[in-house]
Amino acid sequence: MSITLDQVTKHYSGAPVVNDVSLDIGDGEFFVLLGPSGSGKSTLLRAIAGLSGVDHGRISLHGRDVTHVAARKRGVGLVFQNYALFRHMTVADNIEFALRVRHMRARARRQRRQELLRLVALEGMDNRLPAQLSGGQQQRVAVARALAHKPEVLLLDEPFGALDAKIREELRRTIREVQRELGITTVLVTHDQEEAFALADRIGIMNLGRLLEAGAPHELYSRPATRFVATFLGAANLFLARRTADGIKVGARVMAAAEHTPGAPDHEVVAVVRPEEVEVAPSRDALGSRFMGHGVVDEVMFTGAFERLRVRVTDETGAPLLAVAEGDINTALQVTRTRYAQRGFEVRTGQTVAIGVRRLHVLPTPLSSFTACAASAVRAESLSRQTLLAELAARMKTRIGLRVEPGLGVPEAGCEAQGAFVGATVIAGEDGCAQRAEWLLQRGAKDLLVLPAAAQAPQRVLIHWLGDAARSATLGVSASVLRHVPAEAVYVGIVTGDGAGAGTPQGMRELLDARSEAQAAHGLEMRTELGFGDVAQELARRLAESPAQMLILGVTDLKQFAERFRALLDGGAWPVLIVQRAPS
Amino acid sequence: MSLRKPSVLPGFGLTFGFTTFFLSAIVLLPLAALVLAAASMHWSDFLRVVSSPRALGSYRLSFGASLLAASINLVFGFVIAWTLTRYEFPGRKVIDALIDMPFALPTAVSGIALTTVFAQNGWIGRYLEPLGIKVAYTWLGVTLALTLISMPFAVRAVQPALLEVQRDLEDAAETLGAGRFYVFRRIILPTVLPALLTGFTLSFARAVGEYGSVIFIAGNLPMKTEITPLLIVIHLEEFDYQGAAALGVVMLAISFVLLLAINLLQAWGRRSRVRAAH
Repeated sequence: MSITLDQVTKHYSGAPVVNDVSLDIGDGEFFVLLGPSGSGKSTLLRAIAGLSGVDHGRISLHGRDVTHVAARKRGVGLVFQNYALFRHMTVADNIEFALRVRHMRARARRQRRQELLRLVALEGMDNRLPAQLSGGQQQRVAVARALAHKPEVLLLDEPFGALDAKIREELRRTIREVQRELGITTVLVTHDQEEAFALADRIGIMNLGRLLEAGAPHELYSRPATRFVATFLGAANLFLARRTADGIKVGARVMAAAEHTPGAPDHEVVAVVRPEEVEVAPSRDALGSRFMGHGVVDEVMFTGAFERLRVRVTDETGAPLLAVAEGDINTALQVTRTRYAQRGFEVRTGQTVAIGVRRLHVLPTPLSSFTACAASAVRAESLSRQTLLAELAARMKTRIGLRVEPGLGVPEAGCEAQGAFVGATVIAGEDGCAQRAEWLLQRGAKDLLVLPAAAQAPQRVLIHWLGDAARSATLGVSASVLRHVPAEAVYVGIVTGDGAGAGTPQGMRELLDARSEAQAAHGLEMRTELGFGDVAQELARRLAESPAQMLILGVTDLKQFAERFRALLDGGAWPVLIVQRAPS
Repeated sequence: MSLRKPSVLPGFGLTFGFTTFFLSAIVLLPLAALVLAAASMHWSDFLRVVSSPRALGSYRLSFGASLLAASINLVFGFVIAWTLTRYEFPGRKVIDALIDMPFALPTAVSGIALTTVFAQNGWIGRYLEPLGIKVAYTWLGVTLALTLISMPFAVRAVQPALLEVQRDLEDAAETLGAGRFYVFRRIILPTVLPALLTGFTLSFARAVGEYGSVIFIAGNLPMKTEITPLLIVIHLEEFDYQGAAALGVVMLAISFVLLLAINLLQAWGRRSRVRAAH
């Protein structure tokens, strides 16, 4: 491996900007770090270059641990967005800078300079000053300069940001050619997905300081694992669908076949449909793909090669559409059509069309939607407006449903719940909520968020489970939550007993197992800590250490649940997400 | 041509007219009057006045101390500007405002304040006295006063240039393998050099013309701690206007030559860099 990052974390005034990033980049690989501004991608690049230190974790280059090695001794080449050329030096002096520092002889320097100028197609520009070059040429000089000392790793920080479209594309090609020719391991940071697609062998997508997913461009595009990647990498229509024995159901209709464990209950999932996978036709029979419903065309936009439509689904059976872009919650379906399709069927605003879906991808994320549950409609309504819940739902681009459970007010009542539970259920964290939580869990709620009214976005999420059957589900839910809040994840392993006993080695092993499973199966990087004593007390103690914490607790056995966790749930000021899975 | 370009201010003709008028009325005419006054002297009288040992001593002190003060400000002005631009610390704004204080203070007040501190029984002077260092009433005091009053020029000239040195440049140099000192010598210094020279020039010019603050701390012993501006005032007090004008002309000439030399040096530096580029 050329670059190895292990749980690299960097805080900036308390909040993590780079949060537990682990990554392996192979020899000669062109890796693109893609993310919105403020996602921590540039900070991570600077950390690799050695220009900013890390608070936690290790960085290795070609097997050499460089975590505490100064930038000038790391042997990396760095290219900046604003070129960062030395303006008082000629092109030749700029390129030879690294060689001069290394006391290379003039003749060898000149030879190397010529080589580099040829590489970036700037022969004969030796004696120009940077100010006499165009932006594109300046960036070429910067690339040549960064390569002069034959670094093992080339790092590019938004190198095309300051250039206009045409030159950008040209330079992009040059960089790709240079990279191939030298076979140098390269990391490029950008917020432009087109650039990422054009250059990358692999793309890593960052948001809120976390590396969410890494993979080949087409893999990430066609099979994203997370909502963020699905919507950030290209446009996407998100649906709340149901996985049933018949297949994936959107609304009442089966839209795709799906592998389904026989006997497993139906459950809600999040489905992704790319705009180009949506078909519109004059009637249901004219569709070449599975019929989803009827809709009215709200907007037609011509963009050259493609036509963009916004189609409002009008069928009553129409599935609830989720948000499509940050903050933009709307119910219109995005469709893009080729010129060919346009010729076949011309569409006007206001027209009614039949909608078909060619391909649908189900996200493996376990948290599909939230349902605010309370004994009365008024309370459910006010709960659904809680800050943290609203923030989570917005970030997850999902919706908050309401559910009135009259039996909830009297937990002792033996009455049944009002139908099956969908998605994650949310109840208010107040006195007596431990009883209510138990009541709901016993009646089939699987993921239950107990939310105190004052709960804010957590900076630290503690993870623990009681019973191995809940392990995988807890990790999955934790991964889903932590993708949407900028918090550090800490798995707390608890050894019951006084701590001096024989439980410790066993506990340590569990910690390591948990960590590697979270990493491998759920893409979640988490820290591990070992605690001792009674589970509920130990967790309560850790939660009390600092504000802005959250607990994700996996449970299998509900016996005496309310008894054991009353203190934690009733009195606490912390949001607790309970993940219940019965032992199989 | 620049004539054709639309601009915020009225056209070239008008603005150029104002420029020449103001320069003439405020700078050129008074200077011409000065030269005329001196020219009405007989040639031998002129020589006698300007080359008297007392006058020569005063030139030495005036220009020597001014050059020394400007040099000191070159170094410490840079350090102060560096601290103010590169670091974020509580009270930075206050210190930044304090830099301009010597601008606002009547120079006589500065002189009195300095004398209070550095006199033999002053706050600092009393501790320097046993060490054999006398500040007040020596050339050291003169230099100190000149350094104080010309310091803001050096800081204010370098500050914007330092702000412009992008952090990225240093980062780039560092990843290319350069150590701190190398980065300073090869990247930062060349970038701010023109500003540093400007700061030096301004400090020097200010120091040469200074009068108010120096006379309090200098002690004004002829040949030893008497600066040329003071000598001019002494001539004036004796109603020897011509003598005063003669000394003024000499000061003017020396200052002009020195400032011109610095400016030419700067222009030459720029040109040689451009030449290297072709």
